[in-house]
Amino acid sequence: MIRLSGRFRSSLIIGGQGIRARKLRTFLSMVSLFLGVMAVVVVQAGASIAERALLSESELREGKDGTVQMYVASHAKAVPVTLETLRGRSDAVATFGTQAIIGEPGVTPVNPGGASFDGPGGYSPYVTCDESGCHNVDAPTAGQPPGKAIELQLTALTGDVRKIRPYRLESGRWLDFSSAPSLSPGIVINREAAKGFARHRVPAEMRIDGAVANSTPRIIGVVDDGGFQPAAYVRADELLTWLPETALVSGRGQGVQVLMAPSATGLEQTLRARLLAAGMPAGQVNTNRVDAREHAKTQLAIMRWIFLGMASLVLLIGVAGILNVGLATVGERIEEFALRRAVGTPRSLLAGIVLAETLLTGLFTAAAAIGVGAAGLHLVSTLVGDREPFLQNVEFPWQAGVAGVIAGLVAGLLGGLIPALRAARIPIATVMRA
Amino acid sequence: MTPLIQLNGVTKTLKGQGAPRDILSGVDLTVHGGESVAILGRSGSGKSTLLSLIGLFDRPDGGQYLLGHRDITRLPERKAAALRSAEFGFVFQRFFLLKHLTAAQNVAMALVNGQGWLPRRKRRAKVMAALEQVGIAHLAKQRPPRMSGGEQQRVAIARALVREPRVLLADEPTGALDTETGRLVIGALHAATERGCGLILVTHDREHADRMGRVLQLDNGVLAPATERVGV
Repeated sequence: MIRLSGRFRSSLIIGGQGIRARKLRTFLSMVSLFLGVMAVVVVQAGASIAERALLSESELREGKDGTVQMYVASHAKAVPVTLETLRGRSDAVATFGTQAIIGEPGVTPVNPGGASFDGPGGYSPYVTCDESGCHNVDAPTAGQPPGKAIELQLTALTGDVRKIRPYRLESGRWLDFSSAPSLSPGIVINREAAKGFARHRVPAEMRIDGAVANSTPRIIGVVDDGGFQPAAYVRADELLTWLPETALVSGRGQGVQVLMAPSATGLEQTLRARLLAAGMPAGQVNTNRVDAREHAKTQLAIMRWIFLGMASLVLLIGVAGILNVGLATVGERIEEFALRRAVGTPRSLLAGIVLAETLLTGLFTAAAAIGVGAAGLHLVSTLVGDREPFLQNVEFPWQAGVAGVIAGLVAGLLGGLIPALRAARIPIATVMRA
Repeated sequence: MTPLIQLNGVTKTLKGQGAPRDILSGVDLTVHGGESVAILGRSGSGKSTLLSLIGLFDRPDGGQYLLGHRDITRLPERKAAALRSAEFGFVFQRFFLLKHLTAAQNVAMALVNGQGWLPRRKRRAKVMAALEQVGIAHLAKQRPPRMSGGEQQRVAIARALVREPRVLLADEPTGALDTETGRLVIGALHAATERGCGLILVTHDREHADRMGRVLQLDNGVLAPATERVGV
């Protein structure tokens, strides 16, 4: 147990007595301070929750900071060279994107273009890419009757991408890259696709432009990938059983993206050299390093300081309230402080008593603000958590609690400093002249 | 025997807006342990100023002040506060009790003053002993507004005695009390001298003064034995 000094204990005891003796005044001081401390707590809580949500989403979409992303444009040799170079490596994953329709053949899907199921309009532009670039084209299902089918973005993976993009598994299991490939491709869908499959019963038949035949997919899990459009992930080798490599980089194939972990040193140069050697123009291999988290952090920090600055102004009004009450209280307690000096209380302790009262008032206010903030967040999470995923099961951030306590203490210190100095200067002879 | 308190040629001049005024011009005073001294004088004669010098509320302009063997004429405020706590007990004309505290808490004020620390149990025992000493232990949990003037003054005396001071300074402690209650209060103060405590009583009341061992008169800034004495 920490042994507190006698002077510190004395100031706490006498400060506590002072607060009990002036409950209404303390309460009014707390009211004047409450909004300021509450503003600091809310800003800090909001910033922490937003940071957690945004950073986590940016990692899901972009990958962890330091990841090197290589974009390889459509080229006949792009897929085989990439597959060959990445074979056996766990620190890099190639992704091949294409569109797939699961459901009845020869119909227009319920979400043409792979649009989200709740999005207004919902049509995504149809794009085709070749060596000269990407172009908008008519929907391949245009003119077909509507039917029971769902269109989604299908991404084929050469390895476990979750080391780089930490998709959150919601149910089922993730793709198993260690087992032998299956003729019936196992797919993991995202939350939006899961929503579609929950609403619409569709046959298990998957169409992909350029595929030699329709396959029968097995949905083995659901992940949160931070995306808002229906998507599915499949092992590249299982997909390539049904789809020629060239189809991945032609028609509606979206080219190759290679994600390299920061530890994959040298791979970028090797892959680039091989692609160029295979005849790919240098301008069609582009790389960039992910620093989304750092970038988002900087932006959030700027926003946080702007809002904390505004909250501090509100807090300052509360400080003025405490200062006003403190000065009035010291004026009323001149005889008490003079008497305390007469019985041997040092000046520093008199200042400590006044500061203890204002600091305790600040702490009580902080406790109230933190309590209200936590309860409010719980309420908001309960009421709108279903609509806003980032508010689901959200916990009150400890940083907001710390900020509230600091705000309360700083306000108590600023509001109590001048009254404390006045109390320490009260002449002892006041008791003799009274 | 070493005197408890010794003032040698102590002077004090008030420097206000007008011309400086000599309040004390060479006061000599010696008080031994267990001795009681009454100081009489007209209003404005400097009795309270003398008491505030003795109680280290203020410093003399000249002369010497010894507490035992120690010269405390020019003591810094921090050390003066420690000495006030350890060596002196004060009783004032107005009781200066805090209305929001109980009698026991008012007495404990002299113990919770940042000069050392006593655990709660020991503090309570000391407070109850002091209240017992002045005969109002049964009022420990009462608050001042529910107590009579005499009871309140006895709480103030208990507050002065709780640290077992060597010197008790009383500034017209019966000024706000009726005659009979005043006698009881003087009796409680006098009882402290039986335990070796020195008592200096400033009063206008000749009858109370005559109950002290010595009666001094402060006149024109000089302290001298009082000439007239009524029966004790």
